[in-house]
Amino acid sequence: MDHGENPVSIELQEYAEPVPQLLKLISSNEVAGFDSIMEGETPVFPNPTNSSQPNGHQRKISISISMPSSPTGATSADTKNVLFVQDNAKGFKNGVPESCVGSKAKPKGVKFLSQPMPKGSVFGEGANMNQNPNVKKFKDKRFDSFKTWSGKLERQLTNLRGRQQESESEDDSVRPSENEALPVDRYFDALEGPELETLRASEEIVLPDDKTWPFLLRYPISSFGICLGVSSQAIMWKTLATATSTNFLHISLTVNLILWWISVALVAIVASIYLTKVVLYFEAVRREYYHPIRVNFFFAPWISLLFLAIGVPPSVASSLPVALWYVLMTPFLCLELKIYGQWMSGGQRRLSKVANPSNHLSVVGNFVGALLGASMGLKEGPIFFFAVGLAHYTVLFVTLYQRLPTNETLPKELHPVFFLFVAAPSVASMAWANIQGSFDYGSRIAYFIALFLYFSLAVRINFFRGFKFSLAWWAYTFPMTGAAIATMRYSSAVTNVVTQTLSVILSVVATLTVTALLVTTILHAFVQRDLFPNDIAIAISDRKPKSHRRWFNLIRHGSSEHNADIDTFLKFANGDTKDIEAGLKISSAEAK
Amino acid sequence: MIRSMASQRSQPEVNTPQSSRFTDRIKRSLSSILTKFHAGYFRISLSLGGQALLWKTLIGPTHDKSTLRHLVHKFHPTAFLVLWSFALFILILLSLLYILRCLFYFKMVKAEFLHHVGVNYLFAPWISWLLLLQSAPFATPKTTSYYVLWWFFAVPVVALDVKIYGQWFTKGKKFLSTVANPTSQISVIGNLVGALAAASMGWKESAVCLFSLGMVHYLVLLVTLYQRFSGSDRIPAMLRPVFFLFFAAPSVASLAWESITGAFDIASKMLFFLSLFLFISLVCRPALFRRSMRRFNVAWWAYSFPLTILALASTEYAEEVKGSIAHLLMLLLLALSVLVSLGLTIFTLLNTRMLLPDNDPISTLHHLPTVSP
Repeated sequence: MDHGENPVSIELQEYAEPVPQLLKLISSNEVAGFDSIMEGETPVFPNPTNSSQPNGHQRKISISISMPSSPTGATSADTKNVLFVQDNAKGFKNGVPESCVGSKAKPKGVKFLSQPMPKGSVFGEGANMNQNPNVKKFKDKRFDSFKTWSGKLERQLTNLRGRQQESESEDDSVRPSENEALPVDRYFDALEGPELETLRASEEIVLPDDKTWPFLLRYPISSFGICLGVSSQAIMWKTLATATSTNFLHISLTVNLILWWISVALVAIVASIYLTKVVLYFEAVRREYYHPIRVNFFFAPWISLLFLAIGVPPSVASSLPVALWYVLMTPFLCLELKIYGQWMSGGQRRLSKVANPSNHLSVVGNFVGALLGASMGLKEGPIFFFAVGLAHYTVLFVTLYQRLPTNETLPKELHPVFFLFVAAPSVASMAWANIQGSFDYGSRIAYFIALFLYFSLAVRINFFRGFKFSLAWWAYTFPMTGAAIATMRYSSAVTNVVTQTLSVILSVVATLTVTALLVTTILHAFVQRDLFPNDIAIAISDRKPKSHRRWFNLIRHGSSEHNADIDTFLKFANGDTKDIEAGLKISSAEAK
Repeated sequence: MIRSMASQRSQPEVNTPQSSRFTDRIKRSLSSILTKFHAGYFRISLSLGGQALLWKTLIGPTHDKSTLRHLVHKFHPTAFLVLWSFALFILILLSLLYILRCLFYFKMVKAEFLHHVGVNYLFAPWISWLLLLQSAPFATPKTTSYYVLWWFFAVPVVALDVKIYGQWFTKGKKFLSTVANPTSQISVIGNLVGALAAASMGWKESAVCLFSLGMVHYLVLLVTLYQRFSGSDRIPAMLRPVFFLFFAAPSVASLAWESITGAFDIASKMLFFLSLFLFISLVCRPALFRRSMRRFNVAWWAYSFPLTILALASTEYAEEVKGSIAHLLMLLLLALSVLVSLGLTIFTLLNTRMLLPDNDPISTLHHLPTVSP
């Protein structure tokens, strides 16, 4: 991307350009009610810490950290209590919650007037609160670099309430380097793993890794995967109830209704939490956008909305207005213009470098949009998106099948992300069937490709082991559900025992997977309480750690790199003419 | 270097009469033109040929009953004749120059052939001739002279195909992954234009043959170009306008398929939409073209042909779909292509001196293997 090539300190506003679209549309589509979905996060709400409140300091010292996004007051009362630990008691404005609920056009700033801005949240660690306030202040500030405009937004908002403003001169040391776009190479160098989540041993992060970070900083965009998973389930149960070939099962539409409302709620919750993150921690959102894998999840909100529209129960709305399709597809179009353009222009984010199975999320949305449009009766628009999706899917599919050596992000072992391979052909087959009016040869070809990929992954189920659970796994369930739905469509066209059995089996498998995932999620949320671990991937530093530190790490870890380094060091020390080249090579390697 | 050798050949003697000094000066300027000239200059004739085809389609018979088409229909046939003659004149001029270059500076032509960007422009003359043939105001497609001319122009295209496409997957140093660059799509366009012309003659089989050749290689090329193994350093920044070829190829494919099947069906629509998407995608990235827009050079003509072909495809689409949005799109693209072509023509006529610069990317690339201006 061009941005990466011009490492000039750029104003945040420039990067805010792609985001406003998202902002506008999320806020107009979502109910503005916040809720804390993860009750497991209540440890976030600290014990009322009246004790260790140093007085006469800026409100930064306030340890009252609720999720700032709960003006509805729906959360427990203790949060409200905590909020009053302030210098001036202009605390919680009780009038605000009512105005928040249900209003769409409310300016974002108002939502947070009710709460003090949690500067440098210190969570649940009572010990820290007794420390020297200056140390605490320093630590709190370290999260500032991730806040929108490095915390200036919060200061502005608190200024609106007439609080005292302290000088922020100490921030300058932390801030400057964080405002530049991280080149994609940094992500590849610093992270590893199939989802590029784990930090390499030699890297360090810019946020403290021994503390739990603020909740919003730990809330990744891949949480939208839950919306994808559940809303696709709603569609599946709707198809089960309405498809002719599965009539023998006598499934009622109530299941679809329930699941649909749950999905709506989920989408609203997740979107509003993420919207809060966008407003408060814009820098973190930017870093997620530049992450080569997370960027694909930026398509997930739009795909979820499309799924909601496809899966709408007949009792809620028998037909949707056509304008809705245009409204949903416009931000999607803008986003994909940006991402595909990056692939084509051959900069640092070109496809041969960043291709990974999550890219399927960027492509499958085209087919989902085509499916929805065609089912609404539109003609040209769906064909447009189908064509674009098909061309780019071909490119992506070939690239991923090639497993290019220049490609670093493909996991060597199997990982649930590979199920995304099944998503695009199955949705494409349904979309084509809707466009053409019947499940013709084109759809069948696509469907069989999807089926083949599904089975070739299913028989390797033994290799899907040993991976750390993450919320993104929800996103990988929707291909299974999609394959089940496509099978049902196919069996409606070709009705015999085999196809019907297959559709039942696939639906059962999909439901079981989703249930298992739900159980795991709940386990992680409440029992292990690590559903949202510190999001290392966004906190990588913008340059490699210094060589002396690397040397220190090598000594500590004693890896094989150590030996190689010793060799080169010795060669260098000899001072031969031949070794001048070795010396030069060392210096270039160090300088890298 | 070759240029200095050329100037030595035309070294004037001291005591020659006025006329031979004059002829020597002509010879010198001619040789300097010939040395700087290369196949990339056929972009001009490509664009003009494209415009001629566009206007011939617009004033031709149509099922489109909209007012817009009516308005355009009023374009005077004489004006079209003038346009076509101008295009013919330019093409003849360029072809003559290139023939002279082949005769006198064959080594340079050979160097062009061996260069990964220059070789693709060797298709350009034949494409231009095919376009002009198809847009000729007097030639009817089913006459013998038309057939003969089609053969004359299509055979070199196929010959070049065999050579270049074969190299892609057989020859060591010229594998596709190393030589692929956006101008490689010109070879695909060549096949597709040949198919277009063949279908208008009624020769369905040749048309389908050329179409399938073009599409198969387009598929391979699309994937390779999107992958961008070596990043954008395969072409110098001054040649960035050739990125517009990304949406030229699907547009020509859409037109060719329409000629073959007789109607603008779903496959043509899909190709048209793909090219529209790529067009919007490129237009949204002006930064990509900034470096190439600093100084006028013949690469700017690379903007015109793709726009013209896209406009042509959009007129066919509007004729098929008959909606107001489609006609609006057609109007927009028509206006854009006419403006760009006109602008480029005027700019070129005003700046003929700059047309043959010393540091043109393709001609200088013969001397240095990789150069970035």
